[in-house]
Amino acid sequence: MVILQRKELTLAERLYLPEILRGLSITFRKFFKKAITRQYPEEPLPKDEVTRGQPRLVVKDDGHLACVSCGLCEAACPAYAITIDGHEVDRPIEREPERFEIDMLRCILCGFCEEACPKDAIFMSDELELADLTRAELVYGIDKLKRPRSALQKRIDYVYRINDRWRNSSSTP
Amino acid sequence: MTTPESTGKPTVKIQLNGSEVEADPSQPLIRACHDHGVDVPMYCYHPGLHPVGSCRICQVEVKQGEAPPRVVAACRTSVAPGMVVDTESPKAHETRRECLEFLLKNHPLDCPICDKAGECDLQDYAFQEGQGEGRSSEPRRKLHKRRSLGDVIVLDEERCILCSRCVRFFEDVTGTAQLAVTGLGARSVIDTFMGRPLTGNYQGNVADICPVGALTLKRFRFQARVWNLTKTVSHCAECSRGCAITVEVLRRKQVKRFRPRFDPNVNQYWMCDTGRFAFDHVEIPACEPGELTGGRLTDAVQRGAHGVAGQGVAGSGVGARGLEAVDVDRALGRAADALTGAAARAIVLSPFVTQEEAGAALELARTLGAEVCFVSPPPNGLQDDLLHTGDPCPNRKGLETLGVPGLGADDVRARLAKAGVAVLVGERVQELIGLERLAALTGGVRLIVLDLVAHDLPGLEVALGVPCHVEKQGHWLNVDGLRRDLAIARSAPAGVEPLTRLLGQLAGAVGRPAGATAEVRR
Amino acid sequence: MTEIVIWVVKVVVVWGALLTTAAIMSLAERKVSAWMQYRYGPNRVGPFGVLQPVADGIKFIMKEELVPAGANRLLFRIAPALSAAPAMLAVAVIPFGYTAVIAGHEITLSVADLDIGILYILALGGLGVYGVILGGWASNSKYSLLGGLRASAQMISYELTLMLSIMAVVLMAGSLDLRQIIEGQRAFLDWNIFYQPLAFVLFTIAMFAETNRHPFDFAECEPELVGGFHTEYSSMRFALFFLGEYCAMTVMAALNTTLFWGGPSVPFWPDAPWYVGVVAFIVKTSFFLFLFIWVRWTLPRLRFDQLMRLGWQALLPLALANVMVTGAVIALTAN
Ligand code: SF4
Ligand code: SF4
Ligand code: SF4
Ligand code: FES
Repeated sequence: MVILQRKELTLAERLYLPEILRGLSITFRKFFKKAITRQYPEEPLPKDEVTRGQPRLVVKDDGHLACVSCGLCEAACPAYAITIDGHEVDRPIEREPERFEIDMLRCILCGFCEEACPKDAIFMSDELELADLTRAELVYGIDKLKRPRSALQKRIDYVYRINDRWRNSSSTP
Repeated sequence: MTTPESTGKPTVKIQLNGSEVEADPSQPLIRACHDHGVDVPMYCYHPGLHPVGSCRICQVEVKQGEAPPRVVAACRTSVAPGMVVDTESPKAHETRRECLEFLLKNHPLDCPICDKAGECDLQDYAFQEGQGEGRSSEPRRKLHKRRSLGDVIVLDEERCILCSRCVRFFEDVTGTAQLAVTGLGARSVIDTFMGRPLTGNYQGNVADICPVGALTLKRFRFQARVWNLTKTVSHCAECSRGCAITVEVLRRKQVKRFRPRFDPNVNQYWMCDTGRFAFDHVEIPACEPGELTGGRLTDAVQRGAHGVAGQGVAGSGVGARGLEAVDVDRALGRAADALTGAAARAIVLSPFVTQEEAGAALELARTLGAEVCFVSPPPNGLQDDLLHTGDPCPNRKGLETLGVPGLGADDVRARLAKAGVAVLVGERVQELIGLERLAALTGGVRLIVLDLVAHDLPGLEVALGVPCHVEKQGHWLNVDGLRRDLAIARSAPAGVEPLTRLLGQLAGAVGRPAGATAEVRR
Repeated sequence: MTEIVIWVVKVVVVWGALLTTAAIMSLAERKVSAWMQYRYGPNRVGPFGVLQPVADGIKFIMKEELVPAGANRLLFRIAPALSAAPAMLAVAVIPFGYTAVIAGHEITLSVADLDIGILYILALGGLGVYGVILGGWASNSKYSLLGGLRASAQMISYELTLMLSIMAVVLMAGSLDLRQIIEGQRAFLDWNIFYQPLAFVLFTIAMFAETNRHPFDFAECEPELVGGFHTEYSSMRFALFFLGEYCAMTVMAALNTTLFWGGPSVPFWPDAPWYVGVVAFIVKTSFFLFLFIWVRWTLPRLRFDQLMRLGWQALLPLALANVMVTGAVIALTAN
């Protein structure tokens, strides 16, 4: 048990008014301090490869999606944001997505899809802005999701770097 | 699985992982293990095929008598009295791991692309027993990735582990021996004789039994990831055999696969390709917007107040060709009114109706005093001595048991022509009678149709949508009188009521005095 | 004829000034609070956000207006007007300057010179709370009703203190006429603040309570009552409540200036021209308006029982004592 000793208030404190004046003086001094608000669209957030923005699909240098529609990101996604339908193509990599949709309203930017992907085909870009007039517009299809590899390169390198932790440890017996 | 006890065959006692069990000496050891819930991996062994022992993944440690324990292939070792079997010994695990390393040596590891991923034995055992990393620095074999083996099957030679299940399937089950392992050593591949495409109505089964993704179905290729499929236990509707199957549905909508399910009394492990690919009747697209015919019928349509058959009334809330959409209650009311007012009534069932639905139809017939029959189409020529009976009526036996006679399409037509009002009940009933026969009906017979689609038949009074066989519960009796249960694999489109309920309400409505029938209460 | 023109011009100028002040206050409130919290405040509409009140006005007009089910529609609709009108009427008797001489006309700088100006203001101030109570009651919502109830209880408690503190000033001036009161304070050292500091403190506290401002804004206290009496209001009617509140604040600030700070009197410049007087009046009033905001963003809200205790047990006895002492002193010195 703790016995709290209440501090006796002095007369000045009990009178209230001096304390109120003290409070007013504090707020008045703050009045002249510089604002620390970030003026968002003009002053964007700092972004680097650690920024986990919206997931985007990698377009390989040959112009095709790196995704083979294996469905692992779909299965990994905790928000059920991803829907994929695959189809057969004539290239050596026989399969690619016919429909690849991420419901951006559902996506919680967790990055599980990036982690699940065996084909380095989906990465968290640094794109953060998300606004539209209808819900349907915010279900992004391949057209809205695909980005050339170069646009995502920084993040790709970063992911490789952090994954090297286990890549290295498992290759050494 | 049948246990030795249940079959009453002579058994012997063996020690299996420390406990004494009874085993059937006529079966290989792996069977005894599986029967007693001990999981022994297998690739080349398949309970429906003769064992060959080529993959060696099933190795277990066996000690017999005084001899030191040996590691043997469980699928090629017969059960002997007094055997001491250890499936989990370090030695057994070690040999299985080595075996896997060799199998994976040349395996392409394209699981992200491979359709088998998720139900692949190679994946499963590699995860369970394998070592995680390959040690080989040699390049992998390069072989054909896409060899067509006929209309049904594609072979990926790189993925093949040469278990020869497919070869033995054609030897043991169809007896047509169309596949073989050709080439020697590292150059062995599966091939057809003389490169001829596969034939027969059972090719699809080899895609099921292929333990890896080497043989895939052209129709299913890249259609869905298997873990996204909801599997429901049901029975095939394509012939009166009623093979046990699973219905596999993607995202609660499309039926993507029918796959055979083990049933010792009917189809063992197999099914025919006719049934396997019978998607046409379960994947009827929805009607075009604004149309009432030409697609799956939801809710109901009725002959409109205005307009004549064949003449569309544009933009008046009335659909094309004098049909108009109506809700189920009103449609039932109209049907009841038509039935109540008619002099002679007939009920024609589709051979797809379940026993429960047939019961409800008979109840309705009793209320109306109507004659009941079912359409019995002629054999379709697909009959073989394996599974397919050639009779496209999955519930013929059941309906006959209930005393409903089967009539040929022309006899049905004759019967309809005599009736004032006829009720056509069940999926595909119009198609089986023949649309041209129905269209040519004379004598002013009015039709009340409960089917998957509506057609603008001149006699059509009311048509109501019904669920198809993957959307309903109930049972059929197959050609041998065995009960074949149906389960709801996906829900019927919104607005479609179960057929039993529709018939019950109709019976209730016509049972009431005329005039009080227009409102059907649910 | 000229009389009427002068009168109309005065009305237009005073009302225009009052409404402009209310608009400026809505911006000032947000700006000042922002500056006190290291923020910028509204700065998107116009330079430094000065057009924000215009944008707000447009937005309020465009918003859909909702009337809750079960509300008393008539009262619900007129309540905002009832709350805004009294303050706008009260401003009529505030003298914002001495006498101006423009183009040979002598003009007294107030809309109306009532010899019972103070009573008029108090009467209208008492009416202002009707809008709040009726709005709360007509909304058919428990939060609104509680907000209205609180407003009336608070009004009764603090009206007394307010009147008694004014009474001391009235005793000193010997008149209920506001013009008389400012005439008595022409010289800097005659400002009532020097003779009635206690009355000033009491008046200032009561003024906060009268206008429902922090730390006494119980009628709309968000954490307890969602939004209090205006929970159910939307669109322009919602804005009217705020207009009323800001007008009431302006009137109170002007009254404070008039009663205690010499109104338009300029310290150490007794012969200042009339427009300097007006500026002095505006500056003083502005300070009190700023004080309203300043206090709001500094002090936490009281508890309702604290409010009542403060009103009845501290302020009222003090005000009574103050009136008695003042009266006694005046009686003694008069002899
Ligand atoms: S970031 Fe997370 S929530 Fe978003 S799509 Fe990827 S897995 Fe789903
Ligand atoms: S995990 Fe990668 S390859 Fe697989 S579907 Fe997702 S993005 Fe495509
Ligand atoms: S056969 Fe199995 S292990 Fe091989 S690629 Fe396909 S899923 Fe992967
Ligand atoms: S399963 Fe026994 S050797 Fe293949």
